Amino acid sequence: MIRFENVTKVYDQKARPALDSVTLEIDRGEFAFLVGASGSGKSTFLRLVLKEDRATSGAVYVAGQNVAKISSWRVPRLRRGIGVVFQDFRLLPQKNVFANVAFAMQVIGKSRSVIRDTVPEVLKTVGLEGKEHRMPHELSGGEQQRVAIARAVVNRPGILLADEPTGNLDPTTSMGIMGVLDKINQNGTTVVMATHDDDIVNEMRKRVVELKNGVVIRDEARALYTSMIPVVGQSRRLKDASGREAPDGGLPGKGAEGEAQR
Amino acid sequence: MRLAFILSEIGSGLRRNLSMVVSVILVTFVSLTFVGAAGMLQMQINQMKGYWYDKVQVAIFLCGEGSTAPGCASGPVTPEQQQGLNALLESPAVAQYINDFQFESKDEAYKHFKDQFSNSPIVDSVTPDQLPASFRINMKDPEKYQIISETFSSQPGVETVIDQRQLLERLFSVMNGASLVAVGIAGVMIVCAILLIATTIRLSAFSRRRETGIMRLVGASKTVIQLPFILEGVIAAVIGAALASGTLWAVAQFFLGDYMSRQYPDTAFISSGQTLILAPALLVLGGSLAGISSLLTLRRYLRV
Repeated sequence: MIRFENVTKVYDQKARPALDSVTLEIDRGEFAFLVGASGSGKSTFLRLVLKEDRATSGAVYVAGQNVAKISSWRVPRLRRGIGVVFQDFRLLPQKNVFANVAFAMQVIGKSRSVIRDTVPEVLKTVGLEGKEHRMPHELSGGEQQRVAIARAVVNRPGILLADEPTGNLDPTTSMGIMGVLDKINQNGTTVVMATHDDDIVNEMRKRVVELKNGVVIRDEARALYTSMIPVVGQSRRLKDASGREAPDGGLPGKGAEGEAQR
Repeated sequence: MRLAFILSEIGSGLRRNLSMVVSVILVTFVSLTFVGAAGMLQMQINQMKGYWYDKVQVAIFLCGEGSTAPGCASGPVTPEQQQGLNALLESPAVAQYINDFQFESKDEAYKHFKDQFSNSPIVDSVTPDQLPASFRINMKDPEKYQIISETFSSQPGVETVIDQRQLLERLFSVMNGASLVAVGIAGVMIVCAILLIATTIRLSAFSRRRETGIMRLVGASKTVIQLPFILEGVIAAVIGAALASGTLWAVAQFFLGDYMSRQYPDTAFISSGQTLILAPALLVLGGSLAGISSLLTLRRYLRV
């Protein structure tokens, strides 16, 4: 679904590249975490997928298309296939929940009847039934992020990019958001989430891609936030160990949250 | 749906910076009024040219009682001199330049004078003897006036040769000057209008950057994102142009039509209907200026 081939992105000739010869493939329906310190290149990765920036060298493929070859007037079509969620929600403060989600459909010319049918359905998916007429300031942070997620997926994109979606939220609320993202992923949407939140990564046990100074230093399936020595046997033992730890940690909590979501 | 959406976006944009929109309307109104005024002056000049040039002639005034010109040293024109001038006008050398000519006697001149100034007390103090007899020549090409002037001004019995067109040209050059001034003012005002529209659009784009950012992310097309801003500027400018057209019409209708034509009944003023020809031009000019300046502004300030 997303494929990077030796992608390098240089913002400033004098500084080190933001991404340095990154080769990476994320399959359809996969859930991947992008982790790494600030400035490691996570946001640049997401920007390149959206064609907000152009790769200095190398090729970025999204849904089989080389984004460098998409002409500027077709970029909107690329972006319709990608939903984006941010740390700061980015809701429109003067519009209510329904209108915020409907906005994403209005601007691409969906008919009123389709909007009336689809929006409540999506709001139900993110767990916001009955709150259609609330204004963003009347919602909690977690609820606002759910509105943002609803807006990102209302046009049924194949890919959902999340740039630290839980960065402004407390751990319990964050787990609720993760439940929503997991559900969306299970409906077939490829999810790429950039995050600093180690608890979440440890509990989700999904693929982890770690970036450092623009280089992929780790790419593991069902992995943890903290770096593991990439020896097959040892990593399995670590995983098992963390698996055993989980019952005292967040996993049951996550399960409960997940249940509450559904 | 998309149209309704774009319209509602335009509405909210216009409402949100109403004061800027009003100033755009006023600036385009004033600038296009000056453009239109220049246009009206040109129309008026053309109207008067058409009206007068048919009637205007080269006049050869003949010596009368008390003429002081050098050619009149021998006193008033004699019938022989008049015959000689008539023959000269009919000679092939001169006839090739003129359509026809008429002799206007003192009495005829008096009659024309009375007609022309019928509502002025000056008529009572003028007698036929004070008005000179003349040959009225209708030229084939009014530009060839010089030839007639050279041929006739040294003839005996001729007081002076006057090209009436030159009198009008002086008036027209004043009007042309006025229309140039109007165009100059209009030019400055149009620059103001363009800059103001650009600033307004920039503010509008800035105040709605949240919306446009989201529109961009969910894949709204360039048209859907930019059109509301462009139309905002165009609508304001078109309202200004409509006000300008209305003002010009009112000037033609009430000032020229009612007031001036009563003051100068023998002058052909343009009608208010003629100014309506200017209206579409002003609307298109205003609209396209606003469209182009907002498009250029958006290219810089609204990334899509």
